[in-house]
Amino acid sequence: MTGEKRIQAILSELAETAARPGEAAERLKREKGKSLVGVLPYYAPEEIVHAAGMLPVGVWGGTADASMAGHYFPPFACPLVKSALELALRGVYDGLAAMIVPALCESLTFFGQNFRAARPSIPFVPVVHPQNRRSPEGVDYLQAEYERVRGRLAEIAEREITARDLDVAIGIFNGHRRAMRAFLEEAPRHPSLVSPRVRHAVAKSGYFMDRADHAALVGELTGLLKSLPAEAEPGKRVVVTGIMAEPEDLLELFEEVGLEIAADDLAQESRAFRTDVPDGGDPLERLARRWSLVEGCSLAFDPGKERNRILLDLVRNSGARGLVVLMMQFCDPEEMDYPLYRKEFEAAGIPVLHLEVEPRMSLEQARTRLQSFAEMI
Amino acid sequence: MYALGIDIGSASSKAVILGDGGEVAGQAVVPVGTGTTGPERALREALAQAGIAPGDVARTVATGYGRVTWQGADRQVSEITCHARGVLHRMPEARTIIDIGGQDVKAIEVDPDRGFVRNFVMNDKCAAGTGRFLEVMARVLGLEVERLAEVSETSVRTVSISSICTVFAESEVISHLSRGEAVPDVLAGIHQSVAKRVAGLVFRLGVRPPVVLTGGVAKNRGVVLALEKELKTEIRIAPSCQFTGALGAALLAREDLSGQ
Amino acid sequence: MSENVTSKQLLDLYARKVYADAAAAKAAGRPVGWSTAIVPQEFFETMDLPLVYPENHSAVVSARKRALGFLERAEGYGYHADVCGYMRVNFGYLLEGARGDDDVPPAPVPDFVVCCNNYCTMIVKWYENLAKELGVPLFMIDMPYNPEGVVDEARVRYIRAQFDRLVGQLEDLTGRPFDRERFRRVMEISRENARLWKRAFELTGHVPSPANGFDFYNYLTLMVFMRGRAETTEVLRLWIREMEGKIARGEGPFRDAAEKFRIMFDGIACWPQLAHTAKAFRSYGINITGSNYPDGWAVLYETGDLDGMARAYASIANNMSLEKAVEKRVEIIRQGRCDGAVYHMNRSCKVMDFTTYEAQRRVFAETGVPYITFDGDQADPRVFAAAQFDTRVQALVEMMEARKEAGR
Repeated sequence: MTGEKRIQAILSELAETAARPGEAAERLKREKGKSLVGVLPYYAPEEIVHAAGMLPVGVWGGTADASMAGHYFPPFACPLVKSALELALRGVYDGLAAMIVPALCESLTFFGQNFRAARPSIPFVPVVHPQNRRSPEGVDYLQAEYERVRGRLAEIAEREITARDLDVAIGIFNGHRRAMRAFLEEAPRHPSLVSPRVRHAVAKSGYFMDRADHAALVGELTGLLKSLPAEAEPGKRVVVTGIMAEPEDLLELFEEVGLEIAADDLAQESRAFRTDVPDGGDPLERLARRWSLVEGCSLAFDPGKERNRILLDLVRNSGARGLVVLMMQFCDPEEMDYPLYRKEFEAAGIPVLHLEVEPRMSLEQARTRLQSFAEMI
Repeated sequence: MYALGIDIGSASSKAVILGDGGEVAGQAVVPVGTGTTGPERALREALAQAGIAPGDVARTVATGYGRVTWQGADRQVSEITCHARGVLHRMPEARTIIDIGGQDVKAIEVDPDRGFVRNFVMNDKCAAGTGRFLEVMARVLGLEVERLAEVSETSVRTVSISSICTVFAESEVISHLSRGEAVPDVLAGIHQSVAKRVAGLVFRLGVRPPVVLTGGVAKNRGVVLALEKELKTEIRIAPSCQFTGALGAALLAREDLSGQ
Repeated sequence: MSENVTSKQLLDLYARKVYADAAAAKAAGRPVGWSTAIVPQEFFETMDLPLVYPENHSAVVSARKRALGFLERAEGYGYHADVCGYMRVNFGYLLEGARGDDDVPPAPVPDFVVCCNNYCTMIVKWYENLAKELGVPLFMIDMPYNPEGVVDEARVRYIRAQFDRLVGQLEDLTGRPFDRERFRRVMEISRENARLWKRAFELTGHVPSPANGFDFYNYLTLMVFMRGRAETTEVLRLWIREMEGKIARGEGPFRDAAEKFRIMFDGIACWPQLAHTAKAFRSYGINITGSNYPDGWAVLYETGDLDGMARAYASIANNMSLEKAVEKRVEIIRQGRCDGAVYHMNRSCKVMDFTTYEAQRRVFAETGVPYITFDGDQADPRVFAAAQFDTRVQALVEMMEARKEAGR
């Protein structure tokens, strides 16, 4: 198979997985013969799931109709948790061995409580990250939380989770993060092969596959891309920031108006891949310490608002001409960061487009805004 | 050679034809928009005014909500870019342009040195603050939209409306009227509501005078005065305020021709 | 002090004094902090560091109908109307120059900010932004959420370590040593005040109640600002004596109306609409005899027991599981002998809203007490429809009446 053909084959497989995550999860369970554990965003210790002989799958919601979720949530909860609760109520997650739910924001914290009320038969495994994550007491505390998660998962998997199991898992997940970083760095050189939609599918598919398998495929993909010459003139490059690049139709609009993604600061994508678990002794301590290394995320305590600088650097270093903010509707943490970094971007003379994103959004309005922005930069 | 700009909104269609010297040879507005015969009718009227045949048009640029689906344009450009061009053509000193349309509101910041769009904000999928809001309220008050400004001139105080939602605001207005509040005073409150909503949007962009107002609602002096009060700055009205989008599109079409 | 001074008068006096004292400290060059509402004030009281509470400030501003201008200013700056109204009013106040006037208390720009997240996560972002925009240090006292309704050992250890760190930080800030003896005395006073606060609540269980429920929202200022001070003890004791007097004389909460119905009011008051909501309740003889909101400040622990203190602060109702939230409401309804419940779906407070639907159902199942929900906001006057509120309250009254007639 030629390089280009193989690239298309890989991209096709990943796109299929990203487009139909439910089916991909079913397939995963069947092929690997392992139980699946649902993991809500963000920064959950997925490695512990793997170490327990189970496989983590991402829970990101995915339905625009969340009318049943209204039995629990008023309208102003974010679409991510509303649709996740909706799918839970529809029984979509009933096959999962457990649900790990962090508490990084109000939406997630109370998704956990509502989920437990709505689906008591699925073991609920909460994990509450510390704000003071850089202090030794913060790391100690998180390690104790992770110890609790280990205990729960060991119970559910009916087996021991050893330090060796954890070290192996950390190796796999760090390897996956590395592979994703390498791909995302190479991708902008090949915009006709890696459009915004393709880029997103590569990142998203990882949440519904065995991480080691995904890393291998992505690694192969990156190698093949590197063997191709970089495409000529970069088009209108932007950096996107926010939680997720969804609905996917939005990315189609990017392509329509000629916007290319030079780099991203999305919680579902680069923010999840930016920080590796550090080296050290006890694996749970290492996992806990990873949280202390996370920077530039609205969910991670950031009193110096380092995110402002990190975003500016990202735009400058990636050769982007502007920043597109995909502001997920009702996302308090992201809404709170916006005015501060926007001010700095304005002072730096870098254009920023703010798009409020929700499952049923008007694509017409989005098209006008994206097109105007493209005409402007 | 003639250049045509056509602005196909959701509620109206506007066409502007520019002649060789860049003068407006013909312009027309029809009160129906995308998906109707509006664009064709506006086009026909503008051609008739210019006294030319369709074949005399050398280049067409379309803008507005319906720009993507309309067949007949050589290319389509967003309303942001077109409104900015249209306003700057007549008022080159403009720095902040506010367009209050039938169904949306936009604020555009223009770069003073290079005369193009530096930043913009658009309203958030909501009728409040748009022409539609005024239509709904006009109906409740039993007035024609064109008469709103005139009637509000006799108001002695402003009966505030607190709801940000058009639907709830409507019930508020009804309850004010049933409590005996004078129509001009309630109207003052309605104008203030529109002004607050629009001002909220503009503040997110930053108010940089001179501020120019365009779009159909600019013809309502009551809204203009209320908006001046909220923004605390003088507002100039773009001449032929309904046509700035189409004019901008026509100017771009003309540029395309000279570039060729 | 005159014999005839009432607790209400003292309350008003102190409510103004706290702002005046902060302004005076600032003018004298002493550091003043801004803090979240249920902070371990014991540490700051011990170090003589005056704290001003922006949430209280925003509530007062909203109750006096001055919130809109500040909200618009913050929104013009780029803050979405989705984020907490108290926060938007506060930022608007800062952007407008942090100036007090007849209605707006003069909260001075702080030299440091303190955040204790034992009731929500929004405040963490609020205080991050404050620290950055003002260029001042932020003391973060993290109290992680308790999803299983229990403050476990790991959490207590973590919070204790933060307490220890805080002492060091405050010593660095002031250049003075932390006085452990004074700390004990402050804890003693705080404990007494929490006990008295709980006692005041118990009195509302009497039929008729000696207190107009919204009073608790007012006296709350003492518990927010001066939980560790003897002045609060003085006022609370006086208030309790006044209420005991009313009970002895068989007096109810309203001067000109009988207490016909007793309700639990769930959530923060709808400050911008206080007059309208209070009037609507009064017109039906409805009194509030219980609320989960002021209860949050009854922080009880044994003097000197810092683990206990950590647990007490970390167990504020918002920080606990759904089950605990249900338990608390059932307890309140029973203690207050409530005929009905009104749940404020407060647009600004997602913590208080996101499990309300499930909690309501469970509380109803356990108590059988009819309830309604209305849409409002703690600060934003634009989120409220009087017609909706009035209709629903009327419906509640009809349900409560029907129950009474049926003798259930």
